[in-house]
Amino acid sequence: MDSVSDGNWRMKRSVRYILALAVVVWGQMNAAPLLAEEAVSPVTVTVVDRPWDNGDSLVATIQLSAEHFQELHQENTASRIILTIAEENNGLYVPLAEYPPNDGNWEIDDAARTLRRIVSGLHPRHDYYFRVRWRDPAGDERIVAATSQAVSTKRQWFLGDKWVLAVVGFLICGAVICFIELAKLGRPMKVRKIAGLEAVDEAVGRATEMGRSVLFVPGIQDMNDIQTIAGLNILSHVARTAAEFDAKVEVPTSRALVMTAARETLQGSFLAAGRPDAYNPDLSYYVTDEQFGYVAYVSGMMVREKPAACFYLGSFFAESLILAETGNSIGAIQVAGTAQPSQLPFFVAACDYTLIGEELFAASAYLSGSPEELGSLKGQDVGKIIVAVGIVAGCVWETWLLWPA
Amino acid sequence: MSALATDQINVILATDCGSTTTKAILIEKVEGHYRQTYRGEAPTTVEEPAADVTVGVSNAVAEIAELSGRQLLDEQGHIIRPARGNTGCDIYISTSSAGGGLQMLVAGVVREMTAASAKRAALGAGAIVMDTLASNDKRKPYEQIQRIRELRPDMILLSGGTDGGTQKHVVQLAELIAPAKPQPRFGERYRMPVIFAGNKEAWPLVREAFDEGVELSQTENVRPTLDSENLSPARDKIHDLFLEHVMAHAPGYDKLISWTNAPIMPTPGAVGNILRTIAEREGINAVGVDIGGATTDVFSVFDGVFNRTVSANLGMSYSISNVCAEATMENILRWVHIDMDERDLRNRVKNKMIRPTTIPQTLEALIFEQAVAREALRLAYLQHKEFATTLKGIQQQRTVGDLFLQDTGGRSIVDNMKLNLLVASGGVLSHAPRMEQTAAMLIDAFEPEGFTTLAKDSIFMMPHLGVLAQVHPRAALEVFERDCLIYLGTCIASAGLQKPGKEAFRYRITGDLHADGTMHAGEIRLFPLKREQQAMVRIEPVRRLDCGAGKGRPIEQQVRGGTVGLILDARGRPLCVGGSGGAKRDQVSAWVKALRLYDME
Repeated sequence: MDSVSDGNWRMKRSVRYILALAVVVWGQMNAAPLLAEEAVSPVTVTVVDRPWDNGDSLVATIQLSAEHFQELHQENTASRIILTIAEENNGLYVPLAEYPPNDGNWEIDDAARTLRRIVSGLHPRHDYYFRVRWRDPAGDERIVAATSQAVSTKRQWFLGDKWVLAVVGFLICGAVICFIELAKLGRPMKVRKIAGLEAVDEAVGRATEMGRSVLFVPGIQDMNDIQTIAGLNILSHVARTAAEFDAKVEVPTSRALVMTAARETLQGSFLAAGRPDAYNPDLSYYVTDEQFGYVAYVSGMMVREKPAACFYLGSFFAESLILAETGNSIGAIQVAGTAQPSQLPFFVAACDYTLIGEELFAASAYLSGSPEELGSLKGQDVGKIIVAVGIVAGCVWETWLLWPA
Repeated sequence: MSALATDQINVILATDCGSTTTKAILIEKVEGHYRQTYRGEAPTTVEEPAADVTVGVSNAVAEIAELSGRQLLDEQGHIIRPARGNTGCDIYISTSSAGGGLQMLVAGVVREMTAASAKRAALGAGAIVMDTLASNDKRKPYEQIQRIRELRPDMILLSGGTDGGTQKHVVQLAELIAPAKPQPRFGERYRMPVIFAGNKEAWPLVREAFDEGVELSQTENVRPTLDSENLSPARDKIHDLFLEHVMAHAPGYDKLISWTNAPIMPTPGAVGNILRTIAEREGINAVGVDIGGATTDVFSVFDGVFNRTVSANLGMSYSISNVCAEATMENILRWVHIDMDERDLRNRVKNKMIRPTTIPQTLEALIFEQAVAREALRLAYLQHKEFATTLKGIQQQRTVGDLFLQDTGGRSIVDNMKLNLLVASGGVLSHAPRMEQTAAMLIDAFEPEGFTTLAKDSIFMMPHLGVLAQVHPRAALEVFERDCLIYLGTCIASAGLQKPGKEAFRYRITGDLHADGTMHAGEIRLFPLKREQQAMVRIEPVRRLDCGAGKGRPIEQQVRGGTVGLILDARGRPLCVGGSGGAKRDQVSAWVKALRLYDME
């Protein structure tokens, strides 16, 4: 018996929840037409909350009589319909808009004889009152319609006019998730070869054969810059290769935090290569925060020690050309990568291999081969394709619309 | 050594001491030109009971003497020199691959750099490279030492570091080899020759690492800088040590060395030598292949750079099972145009492996053997392409225009479009019942593009001519051109893919042969053009295809005929046969019919 009564109680509770939820949903669905105020006949004004907005706009619809509508649409008419707004009933009504002329925001329905306008820039949950005034050709004005009850805006969860973004977002996120799942299932994800990363073995091998060191510069920004993080990801691969080849890798940094991160990376890489004994914390060291002080040190070190391979992977500014030219002059194989568009031409001109923009970020997926990263990479590619197709389609559409009949 | 000037040399005797057969040829000056006149062969006698290589040499020479009526051996069995009237020869030369040839172990710092250069030097000298040690070969030191102890090489080539470069890694390699005490194949008192061809500054340290147990010698660095290779000194040193140590310890070779007028060369080294000489003289790019029972050698000369690879497990008898395993039966059967029972074929393969000297007795067996040969050659050529690359570790010079074309180092230098001459040798190619079959095997396996002349070594004379080229280049080249090569004809193939049945290229042939028409994708056609005939061929490919002048661009060239003729190949490259998207059996049958490969009636 206890169990039966307990079951009934649970069922009642569930029904209550469902009813409460239904009420909330019904309220949400019916929230839009907050007020429908009939005003003085034959002109009426209806003001409702604008659905699917962020709570700053209302929709005002003015229903005109046949005479008013006809008069407004006569050629060179001097009559006007004026929509006014006030924050209290019978308070100070301020003109919002008038018709004619149509400033582009009036939607006119000839069959229904209505004028519709979105009133935006309002405060959420604030009461508003509307009046419609008629100005005759003589210039006399009179109130032809008004709302007697307050109308307020209501904020919705989603912005209706941004539905395209939602679709694109779902597509891209869906593609990312889909590709991650496919990668997890073992489906091969083809990633285009990145020449700069393919050349890591070659560059470190050169340093090994020549008995010289490998220089790695992770940019001049701190750890809060995503490019520095991407650079350190690649450092782990470079350091691992250097450990396998038994070559020396040097990482001068311009930020103390980057030095610490680089040390951690180096230690992990030497461990992964099975050579923890070869790890030396002094391989990564802090130089100075000063941009040109740092560059002066690194350039001087390059000229003195002549590293056989130089990697510049991170965020670079004016120092990019100084570093790359110095490296070129000492005959080093140089691999550079940055997402700074203005520095790319310098790297391309002076370095052997350059990771262009997003390749720097794609590199870690390329190197790790993890399903999550590869799937994200592929998903983002789908997004880029969608954007590219959208741009082309938009251009064609706009051109079509502009084309003379 | 002969004291005769080259213009006084009229009669040349050359032998090639193979593992099973010693082949001798006689070259004589006929009407002012050197010609190969007689040939003799006898079993090689390196093993017991004779255990003297010169016995086999004397037998082969005696056969030539009998055929030619020229007395070449005196009463003691020595070769008579110089030639007087109908007696003796002016010079005697020889190559050798008896007892497995020259087997080497090479070592370098980075596998793709100095170790690769050392391997190229050893292969170019005609050696079989048993293994390559490197600092980055992913093996632990104890595994490397164990491997050295397992192998029994004839010689070790140690390289590493550029001049002025790393010493640490080179010494580490030396310290791996020295305590491993590698054991040689021949001789109890034999001291393992170790050639050091690395960073010259590391030489004193390397010398310290080795004790008296090895015969250590130094030569120039194979990679003095990373931008250049210097392989000749190492190759010469390998040849010297091959004679001084390896040959001197093989049965009867001390006597043979004393007989010859030029140093004995390893057979593959001699083949490479003649191919390189021809390519240099004619200014062409050439590829040579020698498919044997156990191994397949591929030689190439592209833009003056010589490369050789030995595919140790690709052969037509001892290694035939391995070919079937590597290529898969499905890939082999795609070349077969008639129904065959796969189980029966597997039995056939195993039989061939345990009875390596048998030859096909039925047409089906021949078709199958030639299908296996196609796959063996294809795989060997793939390995060759991967090995014959540009140097790695070189600084690149770029401009902003190269932004999206960032080529890495180590690109293959083998370019089928640039290939001018393709030479075949080895039983399955040389002894094919029809020359058309040899040509078809070459085209299917190597997929030449553009205009390529096909030839085969008539009686496997290239080793003899390779060593002769060092003594008398003119004689070697004349014999190569007139007697060594049998020209099969010319293959003109379009590169790129076109939908089957669509137009591939238009052709117009003038000269000794007149024809014009259109080739459609998937077609192959044979035109009769004899050896002494020549023709001017104009090819106009469609936009997607390239016949040598670029995609869609017309090209006109003079071509030579041969025993097969002129072959127009519109099957496209890469050649797609079998599988889901490739040519089907009826199409393969059409090709067989077009080239008149087999009489099926």
